Amino acid sequence: MSERKIKVDVLTLDSVQCAACGYMMESIAAMPPDVQEMIEYKEWSIKNKSGIAKFLELNGRVLPTICIEGDLVFESIIPQYEELIDELAKRAPTPEMAERIRSLRDVGFNFDKIQENLEKAGAGKYTRVDSEIE
Amino acid sequence: MAKQMLIDAIRGKRTPRAPWVPYAGVHSAFVINEPADKFLRDPQLLAKGVVETAKKYKADGIPLVFDLSVEAEAMGLELKYWKDNVPSVQSHPLADKTVAEAGLKVPGPNDGRYPVLFEAARIAKPQLDEIDCALMGLAIGPLTLGSHLAGVRIFTDVVKNKERAHQVLRFCADVVEKSAEMYCDMGCDIIAIVDPVASQIKKETFKEFVHPYCQAAIATIHRKGKTSSFFICGDATKVLEAVCQIGTHGFAIDEQLNMNFVRDLALKYKVGFGGNLKLTLALSLGILSPREDAIVSLAAGGTQGYVFAPG
Repeated sequence: MSERKIKVDVLTLDSVQCAACGYMMESIAAMPPDVQEMIEYKEWSIKNKSGIAKFLELNGRVLPTICIEGDLVFESIIPQYEELIDELAKRAPTPEMAERIRSLRDVGFNFDKIQENLEKAGAGKYTRVDSEIE
Repeated sequence: MAKQMLIDAIRGKRTPRAPWVPYAGVHSAFVINEPADKFLRDPQLLAKGVVETAKKYKADGIPLVFDLSVEAEAMGLELKYWKDNVPSVQSHPLADKTVAEAGLKVPGPNDGRYPVLFEAARIAKPQLDEIDCALMGLAIGPLTLGSHLAGVRIFTDVVKNKERAHQVLRFCADVVEKSAEMYCDMGCDIIAIVDPVASQIKKETFKEFVHPYCQAAIATIHRKGKTSSFFICGDATKVLEAVCQIGTHGFAIDEQLNMNFVRDLALKYKVGFGGNLKLTLALSLGILSPREDAIVSLAAGGTQGYVFAPG
């Protein structure tokens, strides 16, 4: 049985055009493979209606923002690796998952699959006014 | 159009009206009906787009190019080009290597797209002078360049591995200075250091890792007799006072900042300030009336050191 994943939403202007948004996205996409297995994430660019709707749903205040399980966690601050680990662990659906995430605190960012991970998260794909985020 | 008025405003002086700068970027490609990836690599198209956009929007100043991948590409980093956006950096050579191990060198006028930019500036500059519009050169800021080179780990290194971060940023400072110098040599009237990610760090980090690594570039711009600015994006509230103290003649911010707060700080430090038409909510999406948004910006900005521009 597959375990529920931790949901991460990244509210951006556009991760291609805006470097701050790009590196906010990359901070999630560069989490090591063992963490990637426990999270699901998506970019929400406010250049389109779906992104605006998500921004309003999550009560977003500034761009870019990383939301974890619906909480505005990193607002206009690109997180350090350990900060991300701690905040993900706090919001893990089970104590076992929280423990597994905390055990990866010393692993550090991994850049091997970053473009693949960004692609999966829809980074830069829905930045037109008429885009619909899938 | 009024180039000198723009220069005066960036230098914090009172002007008869607020000068206006559209940061057109790849929108200039749209204006001449060309895809961004072609426009950015063709000097004729680049010059045509910039001049036509300046005329269309009656600009007092316009950037030659608004693309923070120029320096990275000139050092051999891999880019992904888009038809309707700026290129994005795909590789981070300093993620696990030092500058020497990665073989990085400060790029010069023959590297990457710099020949395209020199040629585009040569074509566009006299045409912009004819319509009294300033040409602006935008050099990447040190922290954004550091992010391109080292990836997102730079934001951890500035806290946990400071010496490594300083090594990366010392190299970035040399690149930023050379880039600023090349924009001066292209004939740009105003040179801005553009460091969007500098808003995504704490004030202390800004002072330690951004401020010192801009100083050589700022000194070069001033030595060449040009006007300097510092562009920052995002919610830069926490670092804005440090931005005012960085040493440029002026600065520019994005739509997320309160214009009254920005104006009061700029007046306190006697520097120019620019912004902050709502790029997304008004200009792109039309959720707010662009006209009313413009009136709000103009009313808040006033005519002491203020440049009317998108945020």
